Amino acid sequence: MLLLPSAADGQGTAITHALISASTLCQVEPVGRWFEAFVKRRNRNASASFQELEDKKELSEESEDEELQLEEFPMLKTLDPKDWKNQDHYAVLGLGHVRYKATQRQIKAARKYFVTSAYEMLSDPVKRRAFNSVDPTFDNSVPSKSEAKENFFEVFSPVFERNSRWSNKKNVPKLGDMNSSFEDVDAFYSFWYNFDSWREFSYLDEEEKEKAECRDERRWIEKQNRATRAQRKKEEMNRIRTLVDNAYSCDPRIKKFKEEEKAKKEAEKKAKAEAKRKEQEAKEKQRQAELEAARLAKEKEEEEVRQQALLAKKEKDIQKKAIKRERQKLRNSCKTWNHFSDNEAERVKMMEEVEKLCDRLELASLQCLNETLTSSTKEVGKAALEKQIEEINEQIRKEKEEAEARMRQASKNAEKSTGGGGNGSKNWSEDDLQLLIKAVNLFPAGTNSRWEVIANYMNIHSSSGVKRTAKDVIGKAKSLQKLDPHQKDDINKKAFDKFKKEHGVVPQAENATPSERFEGPCTDFTPWTTEEQKLLEQALKTYPVNTPERWEKIADTVPGRTKKDCMKRYKELVEMVKAKKAAQEQVMNASRAKK
Amino acid sequence: MAAIGVHLGCTSACVAVYKDGRAGVVANDAGDRVTPAVVAYSRNEEVVGLAAKQSRIRNISNTVMKVKQILGRSSDDPQAQKYIAESKCLVIEKNGKLRYEIDTGEETKFVNPEDVARLIFSKMKETAQSALGSDANDVVITVPFDFGEKQKNALGEAAGAAGFNVLRLIHEPSAALLAYGIGQDSPTEKSNILVFKLGGTSLSISVMEVNSGIYRVLSTNTDDNIGGAHFTETLAQYLASEFQRSFKHDVRGNARAMMKLMNSAEVAKHSLSTLGSANCFLDSLYEGQDFDCNVSRARFELLCSPLFNKCIEAIRELLEQSAFTADDINKVVLCGGSSRIPKLQQLIKDLFPDVELLNSVPPDEVIPIGAAIEAGILTGKEKLLVEDSLMIECSAKDILIKGVDESGADRFTVLFPSGTPLPAQRQHTLQAPGSISSVCLELYESEGKNSAKEENKFAQVVLQDLDRKENGLRDILAVLTMKRDGSLHVTCTDQETGKCEAITIEVAS
Repeated sequence: MLLLPSAADGQGTAITHALISASTLCQVEPVGRWFEAFVKRRNRNASASFQELEDKKELSEESEDEELQLEEFPMLKTLDPKDWKNQDHYAVLGLGHVRYKATQRQIKAARKYFVTSAYEMLSDPVKRRAFNSVDPTFDNSVPSKSEAKENFFEVFSPVFERNSRWSNKKNVPKLGDMNSSFEDVDAFYSFWYNFDSWREFSYLDEEEKEKAECRDERRWIEKQNRATRAQRKKEEMNRIRTLVDNAYSCDPRIKKFKEEEKAKKEAEKKAKAEAKRKEQEAKEKQRQAELEAARLAKEKEEEEVRQQALLAKKEKDIQKKAIKRERQKLRNSCKTWNHFSDNEAERVKMMEEVEKLCDRLELASLQCLNETLTSSTKEVGKAALEKQIEEINEQIRKEKEEAEARMRQASKNAEKSTGGGGNGSKNWSEDDLQLLIKAVNLFPAGTNSRWEVIANYMNIHSSSGVKRTAKDVIGKAKSLQKLDPHQKDDINKKAFDKFKKEHGVVPQAENATPSERFEGPCTDFTPWTTEEQKLLEQALKTYPVNTPERWEKIADTVPGRTKKDCMKRYKELVEMVKAKKAAQEQVMNASRAKK
Repeated sequence: MAAIGVHLGCTSACVAVYKDGRAGVVANDAGDRVTPAVVAYSRNEEVVGLAAKQSRIRNISNTVMKVKQILGRSSDDPQAQKYIAESKCLVIEKNGKLRYEIDTGEETKFVNPEDVARLIFSKMKETAQSALGSDANDVVITVPFDFGEKQKNALGEAAGAAGFNVLRLIHEPSAALLAYGIGQDSPTEKSNILVFKLGGTSLSISVMEVNSGIYRVLSTNTDDNIGGAHFTETLAQYLASEFQRSFKHDVRGNARAMMKLMNSAEVAKHSLSTLGSANCFLDSLYEGQDFDCNVSRARFELLCSPLFNKCIEAIRELLEQSAFTADDINKVVLCGGSSRIPKLQQLIKDLFPDVELLNSVPPDEVIPIGAAIEAGILTGKEKLLVEDSLMIECSAKDILIKGVDESGADRFTVLFPSGTPLPAQRQHTLQAPGSISSVCLELYESEGKNSAKEENKFAQVVLQDLDRKENGLRDILAVLTMKRDGSLHVTCTDQETGKCEAITIEVAS
């Protein structure tokens, strides 16, 4: 417990001496809320108490100012400070007449009409912009198309002027008038179509970020505001867009330019068509000329050919005449020699012979003969003539013989062909042929009474209804054997076509691709030789059915054959044997029935 | 607003979160509140925490421990050299930086200490965020008082790389004070606090002054040769000698057996903090022989008594160094896992018999909790620390007033303590007998402890013509305001009459 002493007489408040040491700098730990508070205070460069004092002073000054002002501007009294959002801040600052054109300085100057919110709003460029964006005096309307039909420029010019204030770029192009150049108009519309607006709607935010109590709430509000702002911005862009669209569609200049463009295009098109037509004409002409030339050339050729033909004809005529002459000469010389005989009959015969000669001999030999006849004696001439006659006769005879031989050959051939198809009366249809081939294959040589069995098989299975005997079958089979293997193949191929035709479309065979198996030896169809067949049969006997791995062993004994091949062959054989037995039984039954 | 505080120690890391006005430590995915600061590299993964620590028996060369000791240090640093010599994981210098060489079998990796720290921080971040259920990543990280600029930067960068937003790095002792809220409730108070931190590998003791809620480190001392690991080592050595006694085998040369013994000793040490005795049992410790040994707390204390003495000696030295006696310390804060040891607490208590020993918060959680509280204070603040604000003006001397006590002897009372951050204002209600008509306030300045002398008197304030009051006391209100330059303004007011005297004392230039 400390008690203060009383002052001695004469003692007063006094300073003995100044403090010896000033403050010292100490390093402290940056920890704790008091440290934070201290740093904050120091950063504001004032102690807490001083700050409080100053604040009080300022507050009183402000309130005085406000009082003064409210008296000066009775209108301000009507404003509710709480309702600052709905106030016209320009009006409040006395700048109602200049509005958005007001400079920062003007606004600063207007500060003497201080109204806290308005000043704050408009002195901060960001906030001012926000307020400008929603300036209530601004006319947002967009003229419709119909209003602008007559006086386009009067209607749209002020609208664009009005809206150009939102542009981020300076030097907004003017709408211009009817005489504006195309470039100007184009620049105008491209500017407005790409309009870069600074208008934003943060002023209309429903909730204030500052009101939020914590960061999360602030974020939420921010998000909300952002969304509504974006919406409004979109609407604004739409507004500008419709404005420009309307203007564009009504603009008489655009119409004019379009028409000009159209006319220009038309002209171009015409010119093009003209050029095309001319080109075509030129082409046609050329073609005509070519045709003409070809025709002329052809005519010339024909003429030549005709000339040649004429020439040839003349020559022929000459030759003919010569022959005629020579013939006549021969006849005459023969006549002069009295046909080398006195006998009437002989003469007639001689004449006949001479006529024959005349007919047959060539010009040269005729000439030669005539020469000999005229230049030599009667005897020599006669001999020559007779020799000629002899030769001619020999020739004729030979020809005749040849013809005869040919005839004989022909008749022989005919006979042969008819003889081959001895039973031609019974026609063999394609089906029957196939059936026959099948049957022949089914009952190989060595079958008991093979052909009867085949015939029987044919009769049973044929659809033609023709009854065939064993003889018919043998004949046909033989004739078929004579055919070359190609024909056989053809028949076999046709058989498949037939099969398809009969059974209609087999769908899966058409388009389904079969799954492929890549096994080499399986695909080759080398026929079984008798040697192999024998080996196989031997092996089948050596390894009875119950031998383990029977087929492997069998395959081992048959060189060049796989197990699969052997099995396949065995199955074929078994089938063949079975079929044989069935057919034989039928024959037996039939013969028994006959008895 | 959620915030995170992380303490990355040499042996373990701990994370606390600040949420809804409270700070609390968060348990990791394994359910442990403290995560070993160990990273093990295997072929294709990096394991952090207990799993890494447990697998170090087999994977010792690829297990990075005590990364904090090398973080931000260069190869010519003696501390780093010592670390490299001790580390089981190969440390090499590459491109002027120290790196761990990790050989995972397929390839040899070179890992920065910063990357290791980043992995630990990532783990802490995961832990915190899973507890918070949000992706808050504002963090305050604690650093030892002796950390240099480079080391702080390295630690901060590692935390940043882990995805944290580092608000501030604070010193460990300050965090410990903050966890107990010292000086935060009554800001005009001035007190001295001793912070005793016994971590995994080092002992660090600091004397802190708390004035106006602001902390100052008056003096600090760090000893790298005492720590939890040394207790464990001592115990393990004892166990090894026990094994040798019973099985005639010396396992000290066998690294694997020693590692097993270390693990077992650590578990036993932890149990001994709460139990009277602990059992160590190891299957086939050496050549197939099992080892079973019971250690009593007394045995443990006996074994470690040299170490305990070293700790107490360190405290004494520090007090001496800063010219304090045990009575000048108002509180002692315990932190670091090893300060759980009951014997140690007992010894400290003995050293400061009249002082409150603060250990209500688990000592290994004190620091992260303080960091989390600081993070909570800092989140949402836009302007963070400017560098020069760490140096602030404080009053250089105590301002005292002379009075008399009941017996009539002169007594001095401190009105304005030294070390008060300026500007500051202090109010005191002084009392005077009602029978006197005038009051004299004599003001002295002094550096020492209440050793004001007559020549240190610099001013007096006299209130005269006061109403006399029979029996009873009058209240005199004295307001002292000191500006940043150290000039003092004193106002004295008689509460009844309202009579007032004021003087301003300038600083001698």
